[in-house]
Amino acid sequence: MPDNIYLPQLARVAYIKDEVYGERAIKTFRVEPVDGKLFDHECGQCAMLSIFGRGESMISIASSPLIREYKQFSIMKVGRVSSAFHELEVGDVIGIRGPYGNSFPVDDWRGKNLYFIGGGCGLAPIWPVITTAVAQRDYFKNITVFYGGRTSRDIMYRTELEKLRDSVDVHLSIDKAEEGWEGYCGFVPAAVMDKDPNPGNAIAITCGPPIMIKFVIQNLNKLGFKDEQIYTTIENKMKCGIGKCGRCNVGKDYVCVKGPVYSWAELKHLPEEY
Amino acid sequence: MEKILEKKRIDDWIKALSDWEVHAPALQDGIWTYQPVSGAIRLDHPNTNQSPKGFAFPQREIFFSFEQIKGEPPKLKQVLPKTPQHAVFGVRPCDGRGVPRMDKVFNDHVEDPYYNARRKNVAYVGLACNKPPSPNCFCLSVGGSPVSTDGLDVQLTDMGDRYFVKAITEAGKALMKAADGMFSDPSAAEQKQLKQVHAEAVAHPQRKVNDPDGAPAKLKANFNSPLWEEMARACIGCGICTFLCPTCHCFDINDEVQNKAPLKGQRVRTWDNCQFPDFTMHSSGHNPRENTGARLRQRVNHKFQYFHENFGMHQCTGCGRCITGCPVGIDIVTVVNKVTEHAG
Repeated sequence: MPDNIYLPQLARVAYIKDEVYGERAIKTFRVEPVDGKLFDHECGQCAMLSIFGRGESMISIASSPLIREYKQFSIMKVGRVSSAFHELEVGDVIGIRGPYGNSFPVDDWRGKNLYFIGGGCGLAPIWPVITTAVAQRDYFKNITVFYGGRTSRDIMYRTELEKLRDSVDVHLSIDKAEEGWEGYCGFVPAAVMDKDPNPGNAIAITCGPPIMIKFVIQNLNKLGFKDEQIYTTIENKMKCGIGKCGRCNVGKDYVCVKGPVYSWAELKHLPEEY
Repeated sequence: MEKILEKKRIDDWIKALSDWEVHAPALQDGIWTYQPVSGAIRLDHPNTNQSPKGFAFPQREIFFSFEQIKGEPPKLKQVLPKTPQHAVFGVRPCDGRGVPRMDKVFNDHVEDPYYNARRKNVAYVGLACNKPPSPNCFCLSVGGSPVSTDGLDVQLTDMGDRYFVKAITEAGKALMKAADGMFSDPSAAEQKQLKQVHAEAVAHPQRKVNDPDGAPAKLKANFNSPLWEEMARACIGCGICTFLCPTCHCFDINDEVQNKAPLKGQRVRTWDNCQFPDFTMHSSGHNPRENTGARLRQRVNHKFQYFHENFGMHQCTGCGRCITGCPVGIDIVTVVNKVTEHAG
């Protein structure tokens, strides 16, 4: 950690991609250090990103820790800072500090079957785990990705997901039927049930809108997944990232320090203040 | 180091502290606030309207400035505080006990360079409470005492025409050594009088939190109690409770822009407030603490449950300011007592 935790490092935007257009627009950014190197991170950790003059926002790091050259972020246009991100051009310089929070215990999952269940922009926080597991494919048994968007235009990382099909089972879904859509039609929790995943020697990792997570977990429990086999991430508004500004706590713990990654066995005992 | 100082010599002592910027309570427009000392001080204040937390954690401070000419990378300039040594006189024991609590927050997990740069240059000269300065005092309920020295560098005790002066820390000794000749050694009679004054101070009746030790577990058990909403119904979300509190530390970080092109501005930290609806509101509009009940619960549980679970002590020091200052009569002692006595 640097001496002054609040002073961001400068990073240049090297790549921008429109993932999703329209009201729930998502863009993917890759940033590289202006000088020196960026911090190392683990799967699931976040970074505080700055656009000077607009402010800071805590964003999940969406690239694998194995990639050292850049850090990737996929940002939905919702608030002041995220909207400013959507105005950026390649070459622009932002601020970055981190990494913050805990991480997915990926190394503990070697030898297991992995089920990833994402919805909307909830694919971004689990993308580092997916891509790390794929890069270390031999360490894991079957890898399955369930991912859904409201419509086919809300599916992010579409190209990358198609590429994954060589080594991973990918099941895409959209909420309502559309002409030409070959994947599942319906909500993500139902898409999971449709494939009847086996809880034996498995870990399920889910991230997405809170309502989706709730029903995914209910369904996983029905399928026989134990609470300890289910992992998710939570988010809360954050300002400092180091457990001092006082707003992201759930009970006694600050999500920016003790989260964002929780097993359902841990999370279900916490007050629902997220 | 224990000494006696004649009351009439306190201004001489302060004059001798030329290496310190001295602040003391002053009555201005009917409100007691800490002011830089110029001339005579009087240490007959009840308690200051605001706590002295701002000496180490000011209401607004600049983290860094930024400048950017279009097409070029921004230039950041770190603004670490360079404050002179401060001596803050007249700090009541409850506010003294706020200091180590703030120290914990700003140094747990990661050190806060801005807080620490200021904190290391502040010495607190406390004043024991011979009788409770406010009808809402409850320091004894939360592990404190009217004669506590916790967080203080020097403790003064009013003994009529003189102060009993006790150095608590090295910083406190330095303050006393700066005026060595003004102090005399306490006689046996004065030692005895101090004990007497302190014993009487502790014996004064105060407001009472009925089960402070049981509070963390009971608050946890009553997280979903309907009492929260009921008790918070009158809350107007003004935030005076946290503004006045000696231990409330929540803050916001924002960019202030002086000029848009070329961009010129600064990133600032300001006090923030858990009683404001947008404190926790996500940019999506979702708010994990969406009503006043949830926000009152956060304030009370933070002080009597979460902080205790993390650091083994209550975050409340019993100053009573949030009770006295609340425009709608929300009373933390009553709230804690009601919730902890609630069976369900």
